[in-house]
Amino acid sequence: MAHVSVDSLKVIYKRPQDGSSFVALEGISLTVEKGKFVTIVGPSGCGKSSLLLAIDGLIPPAEGHILVNGKEVTAPGPDRAMVFQEFGLLPWRTVLGNVRFGLEMHRRKEIDLDDHAMKFIRLVGLDGFENYHPNQLSGGMRQRVGIARALAVDPEILLMDEPFGALDAQTRENMGDELLRIWNQEKKTALFVTHSIDEAVFLADMVVVMGRGKIREILNVDLQRPRTLETKDTSNYIEYRRRIRSNLRD
Amino acid sequence: MLTRIKTTSKDWLLRAKNNRLFISTLSVSIFVILWEVLPRAGLVDVSYISQPTRVLAAAFEEMFVEGVFWGHLYVSFIELAVGFILSLLVGIPLGLMIGLFRKARYFLDPPLMALWSTPRLALIPIFIIWLGVGVESKIAVVFVGSFIPIIVNTVAGIRDADISVIQAARSFCAKKRDIVIRILLPTSLPSMMTGIRLGLGRAMMGMVVGEMYVSTKGLGYQIMQYGEAYRMDQVIFYVAFVSLSGFAITNSARNLENRLLKWKEG
Repeated sequence: MAHVSVDSLKVIYKRPQDGSSFVALEGISLTVEKGKFVTIVGPSGCGKSSLLLAIDGLIPPAEGHILVNGKEVTAPGPDRAMVFQEFGLLPWRTVLGNVRFGLEMHRRKEIDLDDHAMKFIRLVGLDGFENYHPNQLSGGMRQRVGIARALAVDPEILLMDEPFGALDAQTRENMGDELLRIWNQEKKTALFVTHSIDEAVFLADMVVVMGRGKIREILNVDLQRPRTLETKDTSNYIEYRRRIRSNLRD
Repeated sequence: MLTRIKTTSKDWLLRAKNNRLFISTLSVSIFVILWEVLPRAGLVDVSYISQPTRVLAAAFEEMFVEGVFWGHLYVSFIELAVGFILSLLVGIPLGLMIGLFRKARYFLDPPLMALWSTPRLALIPIFIIWLGVGVESKIAVVFVGSFIPIIVNTVAGIRDADISVIQAARSFCAKKRDIVIRILLPTSLPSMMTGIRLGLGRAMMGMVVGEMYVSTKGLGYQIMQYGEAYRMDQVIFYVAFVSLSGFAITNSARNLENRLLKWKEG
């Protein structure tokens, strides 16, 4: 059974001011197998973030269905956790407090929350910073807090909305490697939204190419793992990239 | 003789700090000395402007010889404390309600805005008719002065809430109650604290002016009584006491604010 399956999804945004509406997604169908890394790529405003928010249960479908483990998604659940583009950290809480937040919301009482949170702070390489507040950290570090917070609740599915969007190119590449390492270790299903074609191909088992609220193409990426800098020089990689770029152009 | 502190160019920050303290002390000293000397030299009539030594003598008399000061301080303190605590008890929940529920805002906005734009001290005669010349009418003046800034700033604090933080909380299965308690309350805290500090200043003003208008006891009452008797030494003592304690109270409120909001600074 597919881990995540989206069936003819339509999402409409309504503006409360004038009642006008805007179709963000239409006719989206997609199947994600367990443990796969799926990237969703497309230009700004193509609906890729909306797709992720809908799968997380933050916005309701106007038509169609979203199933996780065969069950209809109606609200956020503990089987999914999201990493946000703007981090979504609580500025009055420390790094430790932020990583604890998800656990507190899930009412996890059987474990020592501080211990558990620290484990994930170490995993993302932020040990020593657990008592810092978010605005004392760089963008890359904040995003690691967001990733640690999501991983700490032990979701089956990790949803990431342009998590590296706010980072510079160098940090971005390092974080990508780091993310693959963590993903490999934690065996999660991952859905990763990006507007970078490079990032999309480098990370993915499957690339979903989107434009104007519709899926243009779904591409299986058959590249050896673990992926390294050399991967980017292989002819297969270059071919995938070229194909996505030409698809996005027309 | 001034002590000159030996400094290198790196110590400019320290030096600026020392300079500031020094210059400020200097300005106060010059003022006090002139105030003392000018009447003595016969340049100004002492009955108009009093003198530091006379003010101190009046203070000593009010506090320790006749001892009337403490009774008035007590009354003023009660008015301020009760009125201000009431304004916290009413202002914070009301502010939260208006910030959280649109219907509450539509309902409460008109009366609050009307009260907001009314000069609150102009309400004193009404409170005296309703509540008499005693402590109660002053508590009302203190309350009316301070609860509106608390409400307005609490509402503004909730409006400041970051949508992306709320969305993140929802994504982690936060319930409505969690969002209110864990997100909206802490978000509104800085602005709420500002409102409380502003409210405190207005509360003190309401207390003094209310007592000056009609009363039988209190610091403002004393200022009025001595003023009418042209006893400048006592008037200045009471005015100075009110302004210094006002300064001390708002300053400690600010310190508390800074300590609670450490996370705001980078």
